[in-house]
Amino acid sequence: MKQLIRSELRKLTTTNMPWAFLGALFAIAAINAFAVIAATDFDGSKTFISTEVDQQSLVAFAANGFVLASLFGAIAVAREYGHHTVVPTFLAAPRRHRAVLAQVSAVAVGGAVLSMVGAGLTVSAVAISLPTTEYGFLISAGHVVQIVAASAFAGAAGAVFGAGIGAVVRNVGGAVTGVVLMLIVAPPLIVQLANSTASWMPNSLALVLAGVTTDVSDPAAVAALSAWALVPAGIGLVAVQRRDVI
Amino acid sequence: MATTMPTYRLEVTHLTKSYGDATVVDDLTFTVPPGRVTGFLGPNGSGKSTTLKIMLGLASPTTGHATISGHRYKDLANPAQTVGAIIESDAFHPGRSGRNHLRILADATGCSYTRVDEMLDEVGLGSAANRRAGAYSLGMRQRLGLAAAMLGEPPVLILDEPGNGLDPQGIHTLRDVLRGHAARGGTVLVSSHLLAEVEHLADDVIVINDGRLVAHGALAELQNSAALVRTTDPGLLATQLEQAGALTESQGTDGLVVRGMSLTEIGERAFASGFVLHELSSHAGSLEQLFLSWTGATPDDRDHTS
Repeated sequence: MKQLIRSELRKLTTTNMPWAFLGALFAIAAINAFAVIAATDFDGSKTFISTEVDQQSLVAFAANGFVLASLFGAIAVAREYGHHTVVPTFLAAPRRHRAVLAQVSAVAVGGAVLSMVGAGLTVSAVAISLPTTEYGFLISAGHVVQIVAASAFAGAAGAVFGAGIGAVVRNVGGAVTGVVLMLIVAPPLIVQLANSTASWMPNSLALVLAGVTTDVSDPAAVAALSAWALVPAGIGLVAVQRRDVI
Repeated sequence: MATTMPTYRLEVTHLTKSYGDATVVDDLTFTVPPGRVTGFLGPNGSGKSTTLKIMLGLASPTTGHATISGHRYKDLANPAQTVGAIIESDAFHPGRSGRNHLRILADATGCSYTRVDEMLDEVGLGSAANRRAGAYSLGMRQRLGLAAAMLGEPPVLILDEPGNGLDPQGIHTLRDVLRGHAARGGTVLVSSHLLAEVEHLADDVIVINDGRLVAHGALAELQNSAALVRTTDPGLLATQLEQAGALTESQGTDGLVVRGMSLTEIGERAFASGFVLHELSSHAGSLEQLFLSWTGATPDDRDHTS
């Protein structure tokens, strides 16, 4: 199993995909820095960064991390089918649950790292740009750690979620579309139909873990976000074991 | 003196694979012995690739089974170090270097990186190892596939169209590698549509058409299994022999190549029907002629065999 995970990690680090995602992380950090420097509230003030909670809300990367890592996981797995690299993988590990578990483990690590880097860049960008305003960096060290840890967990969960979608769809375009539909398009529509579901959407759960909101308890948020990740991953695992490689 | 390796026999037993109403492999039974190169032939869509995928656990059979010395592929202790395979010639990420592609496989199968570099040199990709595999020519991709298949030093090789895109030197190298592998006791099953190449390479052939086995045996014996008959009315004799189960093919104005019937039986049937025979002899046919008669393909179909 260790060998397979090592192989999957090498797959993730030997193409340009991580660099593309790193570029996206820099872009998000730059947007946050620009917001601190140039944006104002309706009254022209900068009260949106005036308290620790405001600043924590601005830099809470976990929600973005879940979505970005989902795309990362979906592309990483779906491209295996597009490029037929799943063939040598299944030849090396014909008991496919082992190959899938190794793949899911590797993308979870990749998603966690990407999301942590994203959180680090965003916190740094905001900290660097705050001196251009009348406010200092107010987030405590403990809350910075919480933001980064929440991002890591959300990133890992998001990557597993995306990996499940990728394994089911097996096509990069389709998998990306699936992630966008499930994480960006569907949640607002579902919340409109059933308002009580709002607290259980990935975005809300990630904000709970980052310490920004308290809609549900931390353990409930961890459990719910894990369920969001594991249900599609489980469906993907079953699909991979049942299907022929054509 | 060449070192020998553990021997494995591939066995396909009453294998059937259906997708909905379509049966792509139909009650197929054959064996592939160690120490020989076996060619696996058939027209496009005849079920060759599906059969190979079932043998490698990439597809599941509807009925029947395929084993490697009695074990299903997925039950082998270390499958990638027992069987090396080429199933898709482009099974790599185009943005990844050839070296990294092999290192990923080495990680998964427990091979050393030294072995990766050895294989890159052996297939002539040493100088291109750090280039993106997507920039490789078709021949280089085939060689990368061969390096991947042989990475774990497997005694069994199952290769789907390994000669596609190779230049004459590459074909020659491939032939040497596969024949050398069989000479050391390895088992080699090669699907190919390059009939002339198979004729030079294979000891045995398995031919399927519409998912069914149509010929299986030592190539030399199959090539000599035909008879040449010269008579005054070859068309009428052909009709009578075909009614008795033989396959016939006209040869010139008075000749007939007959397969699936012994010389003795041909002679007795001709005599019983009052034909005057000017010649009745063994006839060695080319693999292409045999293939066309086995599969019922016309010469125009030859380019579409795979």
